[in-house]
Amino acid sequence: MSDEEMEYSDTDYDDYYGNDYEGDMDHMIPMKNDPEYFDVACLTDTEVERLLNESVEQLSNSIQVTPSLAKLLLHMYNWNQVEIVAGYRQDCHRILASAHIKPPTPPQSTTAKDPGGENEGEIICPVCLGTIAPETVGKLTCGHKFCKDCWSMHFEVQIIQGISTGIECMANNCQVLAPEDFVVPLLKHPVLKEKYQQYAFADYVRSHPQLRFCPGPNCNIVVQAKECRAKRVICTACKTQFCFKCGGDYHAPTDCETIKRWLTKCADDSETANYISAHTKDCPKCHLCIEKNGGCNHMQCWKCKHDFCWMCLGCWKTHGSEYYECSRYKENPNIAHESAHAQAREALKKYLHYYERWENHSKSLKLEEETLAKIRARTQNKVMAGTGTWIDWQYLLDAAALLARCRYTLQNTYPFAYYLESGPRKDLFEYQQAQLEAEIENLSWKIERAEMTDRGDLENQMDVVEKRRTTLLTDFLQV
Amino acid sequence: MANIAIQRIKREFKEVIKSDEAQKCAINVELVGDDYRELRGEIAGPPDTPYEGATFQLEIKVPETYPFNPPKVKFVTKIWHPNISSVTGAICLDILKDQWAAAMTLRTVLLSLQALLAAAEPDDPQDAVVAKQFKENHSLFLQTAQYWSHVHAGVPKGNSEFAKKVRCLQDMGVGEHQALVALSSCNWDVDRAIEQLFS
Repeated sequence: MSDEEMEYSDTDYDDYYGNDYEGDMDHMIPMKNDPEYFDVACLTDTEVERLLNESVEQLSNSIQVTPSLAKLLLHMYNWNQVEIVAGYRQDCHRILASAHIKPPTPPQSTTAKDPGGENEGEIICPVCLGTIAPETVGKLTCGHKFCKDCWSMHFEVQIIQGISTGIECMANNCQVLAPEDFVVPLLKHPVLKEKYQQYAFADYVRSHPQLRFCPGPNCNIVVQAKECRAKRVICTACKTQFCFKCGGDYHAPTDCETIKRWLTKCADDSETANYISAHTKDCPKCHLCIEKNGGCNHMQCWKCKHDFCWMCLGCWKTHGSEYYECSRYKENPNIAHESAHAQAREALKKYLHYYERWENHSKSLKLEEETLAKIRARTQNKVMAGTGTWIDWQYLLDAAALLARCRYTLQNTYPFAYYLESGPRKDLFEYQQAQLEAEIENLSWKIERAEMTDRGDLENQMDVVEKRRTTLLTDFLQV
Repeated sequence: MANIAIQRIKREFKEVIKSDEAQKCAINVELVGDDYRELRGEIAGPPDTPYEGATFQLEIKVPETYPFNPPKVKFVTKIWHPNISSVTGAICLDILKDQWAAAMTLRTVLLSLQALLAAAEPDDPQDAVVAKQFKENHSLFLQTAQYWSHVHAGVPKGNSEFAKKVRCLQDMGVGEHQALVALSSCNWDVDRAIEQLFS
């Protein structure tokens, strides 16, 4: 990838939203005032290496140390050059000691260490117990002497275990680290050298606050952002979406710690939850067993034509009107006075309320992917039959992409609401969440049944939904 | 086996045998077989601990890559200690894992293990049941560890009340060590131990 392509050009925005088809995406371009706007660049390993080497060179020039030591310092100080330079000017010994480049106390002179003050030619390597000639002695700043063959062996064993930047001296209780220019020349096999570089590179990227490996399978892209924030990144190479801060699936408006707590909770409690939430439900009016085969939660029984909500099984009419209540969990106000058993049941009920909705939207997202395939097939048929052209039907694909994006945010509002304390802020959040949910279901309903003539209505609905989503994120996304 | 490993083990074996500690019978090491791959270590329980007067046998396996990798050490003698598994004898000690340094020797390992017996690290446990007792009911832990030293590690005197409880379970057809484990992990509550054994 060339340098020009690194910057976000207009053509990159389709990639930004992970859409692999071309469509009229003008309304989806993220603006600086969009609460989800995040300026990132996807780099290849060569570009990252260049970037890291620039920092190394700068530091090496400004405090006059070898590039190898500069690298070690940067790695230990999370690439914070300013801190290193300031600290180094103040007390260079303290900085070098805390980065394990030098021992905390200066080493004893070599003559004092060698028993009987023997001459330099007679040194015994404490590892292999062989005598070593002065030219084959290797030592770090701590002064512990070992023969070069033992150093090579030590490095080999460490590298095989995946250790690179953290290789320590072989002496007892000595934490001095071996810098790259000491390790690499002593490695005997080219394979080991390659492995060492590879592990060290991974360590450098992990310690760099502005860099993240793309978590996509077999993807070698490194994402760079100016600030480490919990914002959405979409890898330009493999299209994987993730949160820059925690590296997990993107989770706005919920923050990284909360989503982690939620996912752990879900993993622990999922057996109960799975047991309780079945995949089919009975029509509340005629009791016909209904399987949900689309993403929309506005259900219509094919037999009695009763309209109802899949989540709460309530009549859809009360959902569609001014106050959508299904997403709100109604806490029992007298819970403090109930028995421990009842409280536990209430806690489970509360969790299940949020979990079912979280899980349901996740399923809906999958089902709506199938809807997208159906839309493609339908468009094909319509075009073949002479009803409009491809261009006339593109808006449906845009609508489906927007629906997926909005439902994804909606899904992630449930862990947020679960951990939100009761109060006016939660009331406001749940009100906005309910509004968003109602509009999303409207949009889903309209997409599943869209005809060309409905285009204006559908585009209007898309606009409403996206506005609801951005409003919610603007008010509650704090990263 | 690699040359360095054999040379080192030969030398360290002598170092241990000739050491001051070995003269005082605090540590010892014996060869198992003649290829230096496996050794039998021995440490004395340190004074002023529930292990005083006890002798613990250790299995020491020397890896091919020694001394660049640590020796694999575990307790053969059963012991009640937060950092040593009461079931397998596996040891949780940093120098036997990532804090190993190639310049360390068998002597340093044996002395470190002896130090571990005197100063347990209950917050980094190998045996969670023992660690819990160590933190929550320390006097009972001391008595239990002493009783284990009596049963398994050659200490002449042991708590007679504990002995009675063990015999009580033995009368029900439970093996001696099995009874000891059940009672120790149930804080010597006979009813709970029975429940644990027979449920």
